[in-house]
Amino acid sequence: MDKLNEILQKKFGHANFRAGQQEIIEQIIQEKDVIAILPTGMGKSLLYQLPAYMMEGTVIIVSPLLSLMQDQVEQLKILGEKRVIAINSFLSFQEKEMAIRHLDYYKFIFTSPEMLQNEQFNLALRNLSIAYVVADEAHCISQWGFDFRPDYLRISGWLRSMKPLNVLALTATATSEVVDDIKKTLRMKRPFEYIHSLDRPAIAYEMVEVENQQQKLKWILGRVTSTEGPGIIYTQSRKKTETYTALLREQGISVGFYHAKMEQSDRILIQQQFQQGHLEWICATNAFGMGIHKDNIRQIIHDHIPTSVAGYMQEVGRAARDGKQAIASLLYTPTDVEQTFYVAMQDFPEEQDIQIAYQPEYAGVEQAETTTRILTYWKERLNEQETIELFKEIKQKKWKDIQKFYTIIRNDNCLRQQLLHYFDQTLLEKPTYCCSKCKLDITSILRKRTDEKSNKEEMNWKKRLNFLLQS
Amino acid sequence: MHFHQILLFIIHKINGQRSENAPFYLLKGKKSGQTIQDVTYFQLHAFFSILPRLLKEDYDTALHELFKSEFIHLKDSLVYITEKGIDALPSNQKTLFNGWQYRGREQLFWKRIDLVVQTLSQFQANEKKFVPNQKDIATQQFIKDFLIEHNFRQFNLNNDLKREIFQLLESPFLDDLHRIIFVYRLSGHNKTGLTWEQLARYSHLTDMNTKIIFLECLHNMLDNISSETSPLLFDLAKDIYINTPLTESAFKTSRLFEKGYTMEEIAKIRKLKINTIEDHVIEIVSSNKDFPISSFISREQEEKILHLSNELRTKKLTLIKNHLPDVSYFQVRLALTKGEQNHG
Repeated sequence: MDKLNEILQKKFGHANFRAGQQEIIEQIIQEKDVIAILPTGMGKSLLYQLPAYMMEGTVIIVSPLLSLMQDQVEQLKILGEKRVIAINSFLSFQEKEMAIRHLDYYKFIFTSPEMLQNEQFNLALRNLSIAYVVADEAHCISQWGFDFRPDYLRISGWLRSMKPLNVLALTATATSEVVDDIKKTLRMKRPFEYIHSLDRPAIAYEMVEVENQQQKLKWILGRVTSTEGPGIIYTQSRKKTETYTALLREQGISVGFYHAKMEQSDRILIQQQFQQGHLEWICATNAFGMGIHKDNIRQIIHDHIPTSVAGYMQEVGRAARDGKQAIASLLYTPTDVEQTFYVAMQDFPEEQDIQIAYQPEYAGVEQAETTTRILTYWKERLNEQETIELFKEIKQKKWKDIQKFYTIIRNDNCLRQQLLHYFDQTLLEKPTYCCSKCKLDITSILRKRTDEKSNKEEMNWKKRLNFLLQS
Repeated sequence: MHFHQILLFIIHKINGQRSENAPFYLLKGKKSGQTIQDVTYFQLHAFFSILPRLLKEDYDTALHELFKSEFIHLKDSLVYITEKGIDALPSNQKTLFNGWQYRGREQLFWKRIDLVVQTLSQFQANEKKFVPNQKDIATQQFIKDFLIEHNFRQFNLNNDLKREIFQLLESPFLDDLHRIIFVYRLSGHNKTGLTWEQLARYSHLTDMNTKIIFLECLHNMLDNISSETSPLLFDLAKDIYINTPLTESAFKTSRLFEKGYTMEEIAKIRKLKINTIEDHVIEIVSSNKDFPISSFISREQEEKILHLSNELRTKKLTLIKNHLPDVSYFQVRLALTKGEQNHG
């Protein structure tokens, strides 16, 4: 058995590589730049984890999402890796100092683009032997991407300031435009590109046009009370997650809500309850889903048109990790498209904001946090007029994107095919259960809800404590 | 005690002598001279800093509700309790809070208990890989050290820990609601703790009252932990009890007093205003009744102030000061603080 397979089995407990994994890993070991696009749940983490054990030095993983970072550290620890740390704003001053002083102890260092600007950290990084750099969620680099993080662009300057380093860019969703941006920003030299089909054959798509919001609610109640989960209902407002939850609960469904305004401890508990199957349904905003490890999600319901196709694919992609049939349903009314555009533009600077940003006394002006962050970045690079033009362009592009998504939803063509086309990919084989435009027999996918699961278990603290600390 | 009852109780104590926002600062644990001296004046140690994350809008809503129910009224920006309010006071005035002592550190204790129970439960089920509820490195390291120190692989800690928790939860001051909320917030193998919203729904309370009951439970447990009867929990409560409940800055000032510096010298050394040092003195006296104050105020002045305060039945500084033009505001505050110390 070769070394790669040996590590795969011993360290990671897998018998075989999944499609593409071995190829990519070999390229990394041969010190090539790599850009890998593969759908969530296809073993992305292994790509940066495994080569570390074949190479000298530390792996630096740059991730724009703090919550995800935490999860990745935990996953590595679960695999028995102790030399792993996340260096980010969550650490206290002392913890940060301590970590930076012992940087060479770690095999895996997760960090945020913001942290890379920290002088002390950089000094330590320069003295470190680095195996390769991983840009996770690399689509966030691109201003065309669906969740553009301007701070992530700073990674380009950081790479320039370092000795030449190999880079592995990972993402689940990228159009060819975004791929070009990633290559440029990460200063990649003729990278090896691996693009996995973004198609998830086990997920069937269903688009449902309704007349108004009331009917959406009726539809959701009907669906959830008559068929089985586990499932996620995505909605756009915190309040709605709570209203849906309350209404479903009345029907005896075991359901919880999740949004960004909840305490962190409560969010962790809800996530755990769902993963362990204590909750069958979750009503959530798009804050939910990152780092969910649940294979058997059978239904994803959207009560709105998401602000981007890529975001939609990511949310839907949380279903059917076990490869068994699942269904994604999207409910919309003809006026939803404007609402979606409005939501997408919420954090976008207007021409007026940009003009303010270029005033000398800008520092004292109050603006939305994201606006300030984006504008501070561009102010260093473009003049006022250029920035105004840039945002006009981005805005137009966004509108076009949403329109395009809406067209995909409404026309008579196969949804699966169109979603793949959006990412410049072609569909090779249509699964039996494709989409609502390809004559989908929903009843044969969804399992009928049978038992009335009412876990109205009496609370008994003695029993519970005895269970928790049994010996 | 529910949130409204806590507010009513505090307002009852400060009746007509403080503004409507005084209870807010007290509950948040504001470290200003005024708030800290009020703690002693009005014997409100229990409630100091119990709700550090209280939002002003939530506070205002609750106050407005008390107002609408005619339990309190406002006059000249002072807050008063009404007859109706007095009737509505909780009959059992014994409170389980001990805010002055713990000042939010009970949350640290909770994080440790949560993680240790989760870890022991998972290990018992032979599940060595699990996602910890508590994410911060300090807590994780603490529990790791704790488990190794107690040789958890060799000795089964589950039974001992369970016995200790049981014993504390059976305190006659707690009721079943305390116990349920505490235990059901814990997680373990195949059991996940409940969110505040879930616990609140079960107990027909608001989220805030659920958290308040949870806090009462933590404070009462901490009050009853001892190295003899609950050695494991005693170790888990390391650094939760501190000898001097002073703020850091007041502590530095007190060290300088011990070395014999005067108030003016300390202000100079520490580059602080005299007012601030005065606040520190009040804080020091609040927590240490043996702190000598003779260099700030004469015995005679002290008695005069206390006498007047008694006679006028007030702790309002201006009122007292107006009768005694020779003494300073600082001296009035000092005498009142010391006076309460001697009662309490």
